[in-house]
Amino acid sequence: MATSEQTKNQNTEKSDKKQTAGVYVYGIVPADVEPGDATGVADGKVDVVTDGDIAALVSAMSVDRPLGKPEDLRAHANVLDGTSRVAPVLPLRFGAVLTDADAVKEELLSAHADEFAAALEQLEGKAQYVVKGRYVEQAILREILDENEQAAQLRDEIRDKSEDAGRNARMALGELVNNAVAGKREEDTRKTVEALGGLIDSVNRREPTHEEEAVQVAVLADVDRQDQLEEAVGKLAEEWDGRVEIKLLGPMAAYDFVVTQNPAGQG
Amino acid sequence: MTTAGGPSSSSLADVIDTILDKGLVIDAYVRVSLVGIELLTIDARIVVASVDTYLRFAEAANRLAIGSEPKGLSDLVSGGTEKIAKSKTKSAIEEKLGGLLGGQEEPERERVSRKSTRGDR
Repeated sequence: MATSEQTKNQNTEKSDKKQTAGVYVYGIVPADVEPGDATGVADGKVDVVTDGDIAALVSAMSVDRPLGKPEDLRAHANVLDGTSRVAPVLPLRFGAVLTDADAVKEELLSAHADEFAAALEQLEGKAQYVVKGRYVEQAILREILDENEQAAQLRDEIRDKSEDAGRNARMALGELVNNAVAGKREEDTRKTVEALGGLIDSVNRREPTHEEEAVQVAVLADVDRQDQLEEAVGKLAEEWDGRVEIKLLGPMAAYDFVVTQNPAGQG
Repeated sequence: MTTAGGPSSSSLADVIDTILDKGLVIDAYVRVSLVGIELLTIDARIVVASVDTYLRFAEAANRLAIGSEPKGLSDLVSGGTEKIAKSKTKSAIEEKLGGLLGGQEEPERERVSRKSTRGDR
């Protein structure tokens, strides 16, 4: 691995490059992937830096530009997810910027060439999909109040009281409901994973990001079998109609299944 | 949103859930530092259980129509509340994004389009 000292020297020797120029890196792909006309982060044109059998998807950007606006996040995801339809891709975490193309080639690609190549091979033909479901509030509350007598009693108790007078009962009811939702989430997540069964290689049960979340799992599956995945999720949507709004996202890069130590983690 | 007609397009919230804290990380010393990214990673997580959550659930239960309506007939009403809940979540996240990293600019509203800006073929 070249030292950062060397890189800086190389950088300053190139008089056509400003000090503030950087190279945004999206992810790692096989060397035969060609960039399309995708627009990247900060309106940069997406390009590849190749080293042997592997390449990095990159675009030029200025490092004094703040990064992290919604369009930056979307651009990062769009470049990677578009690629994931046609080729294996190892996504880098949002916000990776190196000094120049040489740094990408030497410090990123050659330094980890074997790991990257092995991980890309494991991902061949596969992409990540995310199944996300949100409870329909009225339906799930009704279900909980029907099933839980204590919750129903507390609901009756707060019915005629002001918010302040009934505060303790409100807290107790809210906690009961929250715990009941968590229990249902666990059960519905289990059902979802079971329903996807033989279609998926790995699954990552994500932590909930919303209090009424019913399920959020990332799965690794064959791109060729996407229609079967859609069918399986469609069946769940039918079964839970009016109770859970469920959606399938993807194909996308295998964000949930690459880790720095052990790329393409097997679950 | 059901899956009829294939996968849904990702909302900004979906993108955030996926890309902010996942993916390969380059060695810290190799990377040109970008102020704020790490902070954002932490702050974008949503606390799932809190007093606010409890009170909100209680109020929602309180607002449920008295007596038991037959199940399955409340679809129209519940569809509406679901939309409101979703947009609240999104704007909360976007405010954080704007505040932390986007500078003074107004956080951009979500757009549904994903069309032809997709990546490489």
